Amino acid sequence: MTSQVNRCTVTTGFFVLGRCGRAAVAACGQCGRPVCAEHATGALCPECALAQGYAPQDPHDPAWVRGYRRRHYERSSQTYNDAYWYSSFDEYDRGAFNPGDEYSYGGGDFDDDGMDFVDS
Amino acid sequence: MRHRAAYLAFDRFPSSKGSAVHIAQMADELFGFFGGGLLGVLGGGDLPRYQREGDREVARFDARIPNLLDRAEAFSGWAADHLDPHLGTLEVVHVRDPWSALPAVTAPGRRHRVVYEVNGLPSIEMGHTWPWASPATLGKVRELERFCLERSDAVVVPSRVIGGAVRGLGVPEGKIHLVPNGADVPDRPARPEGAPERYLIYVGAFQPWQGLDVLMRAFARLADLDGLRLVVCGSVPERRAKPVRRLAERLGVAERVDWRFTLPHAEVAAWLAHAEVSVAPLTGCARNLDQGCAPLKVIESMAAGVPVVASDLPAVRELMADGEHGRLVPADRPAELARAVRILLEYPDEAAAMGGRARRRIEDGLTWARSRAGLSAVYRALYPASAAR
Repeated sequence: MTSQVNRCTVTTGFFVLGRCGRAAVAACGQCGRPVCAEHATGALCPECALAQGYAPQDPHDPAWVRGYRRRHYERSSQTYNDAYWYSSFDEYDRGAFNPGDEYSYGGGDFDDDGMDFVDS
Repeated sequence: MRHRAAYLAFDRFPSSKGSAVHIAQMADELFGFFGGGLLGVLGGGDLPRYQREGDREVARFDARIPNLLDRAEAFSGWAADHLDPHLGTLEVVHVRDPWSALPAVTAPGRRHRVVYEVNGLPSIEMGHTWPWASPATLGKVRELERFCLERSDAVVVPSRVIGGAVRGLGVPEGKIHLVPNGADVPDRPARPEGAPERYLIYVGAFQPWQGLDVLMRAFARLADLDGLRLVVCGSVPERRAKPVRRLAERLGVAERVDWRFTLPHAEVAAWLAHAEVSVAPLTGCARNLDQGCAPLKVIESMAAGVPVVASDLPAVRELMADGEHGRLVPADRPAELARAVRILLEYPDEAAAMGGRARRRIEDGLTWARSRAGLSAVYRALYPASAAR
């Protein structure tokens, strides 16, 4: 059996994506994927190297959103002279946007397939 | 790497939808202007969480959070974290929706300008897609839009109708910039494999405001035209087509409809180029009339040199003229739509002339190059010194 050359699996391109495909010279020290000489960033692949520049993803951390809500609450309750109406999205508001509650053609452009929002 | 520019969008990128084409063009212009930048978008599937392309970084939010509002707010927090390392160098943050705008306009110690590109208003559009969303909830979304628009330095809109909707939210005229959508004008591509001899084409997604039901009813009225087929190039996955397919079966047209899903942009261009007529049956609903739209399907059909039959809506009239580039018909009228298509099919020379004029209209005024020049002018106005760097 002949051994296959390992190929670099780093994603390339901006609008049309592909795989690098050059011969790999190393493995990423974090995720282990094969990388070519051009894509080896120190001991890491570009994806792992870039991730180090940002705080770990914690989508459930409500701290930032809470800060916004407080400011928004103060402002809107003054504007409308109503301390409750425009406070923030409450459980009732959120309850309308659970999976499966959208129309069956999809949640507009904002669904599980695309998860995005407004189309052009 | 610290960036001078960032583009944030609660959109999956890349994807086969029109929004992705638009993001690619706008972000490319932004990053070209500022010598690179950070693109913060939605990911998932096979898309890498982080990617570097030269002086550009792409960061993708891929947390699977079931509830839409929870997900949108989590995206806002994630985007704030990703802007944070660049706050000292950022000059422009370009955003596309309220949840990407929020972290940009409220960034601590903000020095950068915010360009808010409004392609649609969630406060209007969500009412069409989430049946349980109450008017009070949509009112809160509208407040969020106002909050962000008020704090943005420039607002970019792709059509005058959307510009009017934004003015209605209190944005002063001087802050609103019209940057129409565009298309590249391709050489005539090869006929797609398996393309029928003679076909009408629909390109896009399947939400009710697209008017697929009107199209199917119109197509049922063309059953006497032997060999004529309808090709639907859906920009969303196949399962989203179920309701439209059921309707096609009920109307007895299913056997004459060919379906393609999430084709790459270049393949869609080839399907467009060989069609007899491209149909954009947008409905006359609040989403299309009050919010407005700037349908890429119309522009890309015109660029392909195909006559368009579209609903006569103000946003469509901004792009094409009745009798000149195709036909405009009253929205939500299958009989009128069918009649316009039938006439174009019966007069192929006139139809071809319309297609030719449509293509020239794009070449002369609606290319992406022109759109990008318009966007670049907005950046230059905000940061006159930046262009020289």
